[in-house]
Amino acid sequence: MFVKEITKRYDGKAVVDGVSFEIPKGKVLSLIGPNGAGKSTVMGMLSRLIARDSGLVDFEGTEITRWKSRELSKRLAILTQANNVQMKLTVRELVAFGRFPYSGGRLTQEDNEIIDRAIAYMELGDFEEQFIDELSGGQRQRAYIAMVIAQDTEYILLDEPTNNLDIYHATNLMRIVRRLCDELGKTVILVLHEINYAAFYSDYICAFVDGKIAKFGTVQEVITKENLSDIYKVDFEIMQIEGKPLSIYY
Amino acid sequence: MKTHKNHLRLLILLLLVLLACAGYMTVGVHFENQKLFAYAMRIRTPKLIAMLITAFAIGSASIVFQSIINNTIVTPCLLGMDQLYSLIHTAVFFVAGSGSFLAVNANAAFAVDLAIMGAVATVIYSYLFQKTNHNVLYVLLIGTVLTSFFSSIQTTLTRVMDPNEYDTLLTDLVASFSNVNSAILALSVAVLALVAFAFRKELALLDVLTLGKDQAINLGVDYDRCIRRLLLGVTLYIATATAMVGPLAFLGLIIANLSRQFLRTYRHSQLITGSVLFGMVVLIGGQLLVERVFVYSVPVSVFITVGGGVYFLYLLLTQRKA
Repeated sequence: MFVKEITKRYDGKAVVDGVSFEIPKGKVLSLIGPNGAGKSTVMGMLSRLIARDSGLVDFEGTEITRWKSRELSKRLAILTQANNVQMKLTVRELVAFGRFPYSGGRLTQEDNEIIDRAIAYMELGDFEEQFIDELSGGQRQRAYIAMVIAQDTEYILLDEPTNNLDIYHATNLMRIVRRLCDELGKTVILVLHEINYAAFYSDYICAFVDGKIAKFGTVQEVITKENLSDIYKVDFEIMQIEGKPLSIYY
Repeated sequence: MKTHKNHLRLLILLLLVLLACAGYMTVGVHFENQKLFAYAMRIRTPKLIAMLITAFAIGSASIVFQSIINNTIVTPCLLGMDQLYSLIHTAVFFVAGSGSFLAVNANAAFAVDLAIMGAVATVIYSYLFQKTNHNVLYVLLIGTVLTSFFSSIQTTLTRVMDPNEYDTLLTDLVASFSNVNSAILALSVAVLALVAFAFRKELALLDVLTLGKDQAINLGVDYDRCIRRLLLGVTLYIATATAMVGPLAFLGLIIANLSRQFLRTYRHSQLITGSVLFGMVVLIGGQLLVERVFVYSVPVSVFITVGGGVYFLYLLLTQRKA
């Protein structure tokens, strides 16, 4: 999967300006950058949720908009930030929607096993029968992630998945992302605000500033004192912990 | 387990509907007099059928519409869709005149209205959703403005109309439960059935659509096309109901939300069935009361408007807290 010269303008102002990069298959890629740098918009264009003004998004050799929607939904899943449902929907029913591309409304035995596993992965067993509008923001977020896991796609796109999560669940989520990649061979693309999560759990990092790519490379290449200071305009100190460059800023 | 409980609930509703129907067809009928009996049946049967059809059309259209715009306090009639139909109907008469075949043939007039309504309403409402970005408060606000806008134009048209033409128009424009437009019963049933059949694929996607646009696309739904088609279906359903019994602003709101509260599920097969059954109970039960207890002094639409208004406020207030 790669993107070439993608551009998005709102009211004539380019939010994403001629961005090109290739997504390393079977790896975790994090998109970082300050607010308004265009990370989420890039994510939206990668996933066909946001229309491009120009450029190309190639998914497995075919332009992404040419894919049949149903087929694409078996290979690429996206979770955005804005999810509010007014329906009376239980956690389990929500997770079951992840199987929709495969079996429509009718769940098979295999679907149910996959749903069980996704619920266990996200530690949702205790409240799988609760309505999602009665859960806390963090619990709801985990339910949605379980749904994406149940969708069982090669590519998983998560837009700020650690929002609303406390340190325990955010760290757990990042570990799950790692496992999805290492154990199941999935390609995961994340938009993250926490640089240290990005540095510790990703293979590659793409940093955006003002709608353009500032740096793209392995974690060690991108997370340096100079790069981060340039990107975020504050002072950074980098420490190597467990072989990963973690940053301190103040 | 929840599904079984809901099946039981729907069964209870169905029994209530049958009870209301039986009550409506028997209370006050003189069984001993052959002629009076036949007369009563001839009056009541078309009304009963019209009410059943109306409940079906408004009940299902309201649930579908709410799911399209992902909000449960909005219904097509609150946004003036029924007023738009009245306006179109009047305008067609106004242009064609009372001497035309449209004035004589109710079915032809209905077909022309439907065609115009389908085109105009789809354009107006999809533009409205797009412009307001599905923001429900804006949609409601503009919808309310549209409602009075449509009805003002309609009133203006009737004012400048030839009195004779107005007279012809009046008899079938202000269709009500005491004055059911029974000429178009057969065609209405055909339209409703045809629309449901043509859009059956989209109806099956309703459950997924309620997850919102992003999730629906993620799960492989061709969102924009699906919404467009469902909206067209909704306008045709509302048009049919309005043509038969006139505008009923709050009925959809009441029955759709009763169904949602009663069944507490996301499954549209159940929600729509519930809403339709509630509609039948409210309409037929209400009409029974109006005819037998209040002896026609208050039309059922007044009860629905008053009750619905209060219920609407209640929903607005309780939603805020959540």
